[in-house]
Amino acid sequence: MNTAPNDALLSAWIDGELPPEQRAEVEAWLREHPEDAVRVRAWSADARSLRSALDPVLDEAVPTALTQIVWRKAPAVLPNVAWTRWAAALALFVLGGAVGAGLMWRVQGIATTAAVAPADGWVQRAAVAHSVYVPEVRHPVEVKAQEEHLSRWLTRRLDVPVKLFDLREQGFELVGGRLLPDASGPSAQLMYQAITPPGAASAAAKAERVTVYLRKPEDATPAAFRYEQQGELGLFYWVEGKGPKSGPTGYALVGALPREKLLALAEAIYRQDPSRP
Amino acid sequence: MDAPTAFRQQLLGVIPSLRRYARSLVFDRHAADDLVQTALERALAHWHQFDQRRDILVWTISIAHNAYIDDRRRHARAALVEPSEGFDPDASQPAASSDVGLQLDLVKALSRLSLEQREALLLVTLEQLSYAECAEALRIPIGTVMSRVSRARIALRALLDGKGAMPPQGTLRRVV
Repeated sequence: MNTAPNDALLSAWIDGELPPEQRAEVEAWLREHPEDAVRVRAWSADARSLRSALDPVLDEAVPTALTQIVWRKAPAVLPNVAWTRWAAALALFVLGGAVGAGLMWRVQGIATTAAVAPADGWVQRAAVAHSVYVPEVRHPVEVKAQEEHLSRWLTRRLDVPVKLFDLREQGFELVGGRLLPDASGPSAQLMYQAITPPGAASAAAKAERVTVYLRKPEDATPAAFRYEQQGELGLFYWVEGKGPKSGPTGYALVGALPREKLLALAEAIYRQDPSRP
Repeated sequence: MDAPTAFRQQLLGVIPSLRRYARSLVFDRHAADDLVQTALERALAHWHQFDQRRDILVWTISIAHNAYIDDRRRHARAALVEPSEGFDPDASQPAASSDVGLQLDLVKALSRLSLEQREALLLVTLEQLSYAECAEALRIPIGTVMSRVSRARIALRALLDGKGAMPPQGTLRRVV
């Protein structure tokens, strides 16, 4: 390094934030410039004293007041969400006259269902559907993966685009799908199982299986990834917003897998989502 | 919908780190735990906004940081004083000295850093957050994290060397 590294660079070197090339350059500089090396050593020493001064807090017993807060039950409704919808409905009403009034009636309807029927209802149904069909040996699915019309059929019945996600890169292949009743209409279940090496086909019944549950949500609001653990079952669920070619879709991925493995599958599905550009 | 058990367990897991972070911000044990309490309450009220692909510690620290800023703003307004960057070290002394292991000189010097510098330095050295995570928690660009951390290091060293609050201008070089 010909020019002196600035202090920010030296400091980032301590924190291991430099790419290999820059790191090597800084190290070469420090070897040749002992006065800078002394400064950098002093900063590292300060970091160590800061840790030894404040680390004992980690070993203190956590006050029970704090743990109690974590277990306290929160109010069941989400007043903010309902309020925002009301405001939106009101704005539409003012702007759109008769059309606005019609919309307000609709939006208000959505707000009410959101308050009384939170997401856990359909996520619960996804978990139950998983537990019912995953152990099936002869009829795990209604329509097998090989049949071309599977995607078209489910898309038509659900009124949301059903894409047969490719999870082979994550070690899972599609078994097939089925149509299921949900609270407010049909939902679909896609079943995947871990790819078994050739010759081990008889073990297929015991292969790991995960299911993807899809539905048209009552509430069009996109929602972030959420995770829930129910016994040995892990669930990732989220709602994708309206895409350029499609309406919103609710997804729940269910499987008795470690969280990280399930997350990798959820992310693969998220990336392949047909409503995403 | 109430926060699921898994989320509550995640929150329980970060309490010790949150307490340490809060203690390094406000020094006094009780004030720090009040801040943790506020952060936990806010996290529970907004649990549905937490994206499970993110780190829960970074998320809760971000909440605690905002709570602290709100708190300072409220107090500054109520007391009708200039919002000063430096923490009053004398006010924190009795509380700090009653805590086992807190080194007075270091804590005093730390309290004299601006909040911006102190927080960036603490998140990186104490919580061992990466610059990217620190940037996420404080909602500032990574380059800003980098320059704040280095300026905090220089200022802290100057204070411990007894050279006053600011290092001589000559040692400050341009930040990338």
